[in-house]
Amino acid sequence: MTAFLVNWAAATPAFAVPFLFAALGLILSERAGVLFLGVEGFMLIGALAGAATILTLGPYPIVALVVSMLASSLVAILFAGLVVGLRVNQVLAGLAMVFFAGGLTALLGATFGWTNVAFSGLPKLSFGPLSDLPVVGRILFRQDLVVYLAIPAVIAVQYLLTRTMFGLKLRAVGENPQAADSAGVAVQGIRFVAVLMAAALIGLAGGYLSVGTSKIFVDGMSAGRGWIAIALVIFARWQPWRALGGALLFGGIEALIPRISAVGIQVPQYFMLMTPYLITLAVMVWIAVKKHGSFGTPAALGVPHVREERR
Amino acid sequence: MLERTARLTDETARLLADEAAAPAAGGPRRLRVFLEVRPAISPIADLLILLAAVAVGVALSAGILIAAGVPPGDLYYEFLVATLTDPQNLSAVMVRAAPLILVGIAAAIAFRVRFWNIGLEGQIIFGGIAAVLVGLGEVGPPAVRLALMLAAALLAGAAWVVLPLVLKLKIGVNEIISTLLLNYVAVNVLLHLIYGPLQDKIDNFPHSPELPAGSRLPLIGWEKLDAGLPLALAVAFIVFWVVRMSRGGLYMRFIHANDRMALAVGVPITLVTAATVLASGALSGAAGFLLVAGQEYRLTPSFFGGYGLSGILIAFLARSNPLGATVAAVLVALLFTAGQSLQVFFQIPSSAVQLIQALIVLVVAASEFFVRHRIRFARTGGAR
Repeated sequence: MTAFLVNWAAATPAFAVPFLFAALGLILSERAGVLFLGVEGFMLIGALAGAATILTLGPYPIVALVVSMLASSLVAILFAGLVVGLRVNQVLAGLAMVFFAGGLTALLGATFGWTNVAFSGLPKLSFGPLSDLPVVGRILFRQDLVVYLAIPAVIAVQYLLTRTMFGLKLRAVGENPQAADSAGVAVQGIRFVAVLMAAALIGLAGGYLSVGTSKIFVDGMSAGRGWIAIALVIFARWQPWRALGGALLFGGIEALIPRISAVGIQVPQYFMLMTPYLITLAVMVWIAVKKHGSFGTPAALGVPHVREERR
Repeated sequence: MLERTARLTDETARLLADEAAAPAAGGPRRLRVFLEVRPAISPIADLLILLAAVAVGVALSAGILIAAGVPPGDLYYEFLVATLTDPQNLSAVMVRAAPLILVGIAAAIAFRVRFWNIGLEGQIIFGGIAAVLVGLGEVGPPAVRLALMLAAALLAGAAWVVLPLVLKLKIGVNEIISTLLLNYVAVNVLLHLIYGPLQDKIDNFPHSPELPAGSRLPLIGWEKLDAGLPLALAVAFIVFWVVRMSRGGLYMRFIHANDRMALAVGVPITLVTAATVLASGALSGAAGFLLVAGQEYRLTPSFFGGYGLSGILIAFLARSNPLGATVAAVLVALLFTAGQSLQVFFQIPSSAVQLIQALIVLVVAASEFFVRHRIRFARTGGAR
């Protein structure tokens, strides 16, 4: 039993990291009032970009993750141009981006032969004797670099949102763009930057899926994690620290699934595979019942800003 | 020395010229861009913008396919000549259009009551499963077997949307996320069935046994065309009548325009929304029936593939109009069919079709900016 728990706890961070970075990205975008439904697709862009970098340039996982972030931001210029610049319906544009990115990554992956090719990805770090400690060593000191960046990233996003002028403007734009505009804040500019930053974090989440954990790119490998991240942000009430808790929860569930059958509990495979989605749905129901759903929601979430429009 | 004085004089002259151009009160004169909300647009201009956007989307898609290695001449041939002049191919397009019409209308009516039904795929899957269970189980007399399969598919599709519907109406759970999550659940149920209890015992491939002859849609006498298309067209006209002529359709327009006002004037919002969303799920289920009984003749791991996205695309292009959805569905069916031959002849992955559809949605969505807004250029500064 101890071995089971240690294995589970040691595997959880790697499953939690994609949820966390995607959620942090979503928080940045949504606190600025832009609904970022395209997460699922942008994770795929990041995943393919990371795999492509390693397969073409060689085994430089850190470079690959940076390219994941850049590629995702690059595609996000299109998304931001549509929803911020052209005020396209954010639900529609977000959904279309998911399919766009899904089709694009599959087409590029097949054309250049990046799909289904295994490579050596991000290594687990070793801290000498610390990593060999019983229990703690495996859980805390044998993870990869991105896992150790998780908490600094939460702190950075929290600091950016609450302690900087940019963060203040970002939140103002998400709560009341009209007032922010009257106060001289460049509403569209802040939203544009927020979307690009969000996409970079989401791209990192996707890049981590291919470069960090799977070490291969497969079509549609984000497998619904983007949608789970959206639910996670609602659960976290758009707060970075709560997102960390949510990511650990969902990461823990995902890490548990392959282990349940390993210890001999017989549940049909496909029923196991559907549990993350059902649990996400259950969490959404729980939030709604507790009436926390609307609490903390940025007031202007999903509402395009047109200066001369009367409301 | 002289040179320096000359430069200074130049600079002074420029400063003076700037000042002259921007008289006292207004600051520097410059061109400014104003964005105005357009109060109304003529239907013709609206249609022209839509067509132009579709044309741009198609041109971009052609560019992508050419970049992916399809010779331009072959592109033209596969999309237009081969599909439109050959009766067999044309009938294949029409067969494929039938389920697309149903999913398009399913998405459209749900959008009309502001319910983003992104769970079309899950509803298609359950419609297909229910139809196949009735067909394989040989339930009921053979004469009404197909009708029973359709009824089962309608019920199963509607049943799969009940949970998101209730959660939205009762406690306000976002239906976009809930319907999407249930798609993944539905796919896993399908995989469980075809890798388990419903697996074909003859070849042990992950698909269900083939439907017997009596459980397949009958051909109606022209090439491959089966009874699916007349059924879909009948549905399109009925739904058109309901949303245009009936009291329910008026209620739907009220809810779409302003649900608080609708409540104030006594529209039974919950009832109309629930009925519409259930109908949306049922129509998706019926599309699943058409796919298994008219095209695949069994459950396969991806018989629903791409139809969820296409339903949303069709509803969006048709601006939620059932008859417009019929036209858009035929165009998407053409894309599906041509995409299949591109896959065979040029190894273009089927995801290219998905990319093209998404691209067209994005371009058309972007074009709506020009429907809703007017851009005005004006000089400011001088006249104040």
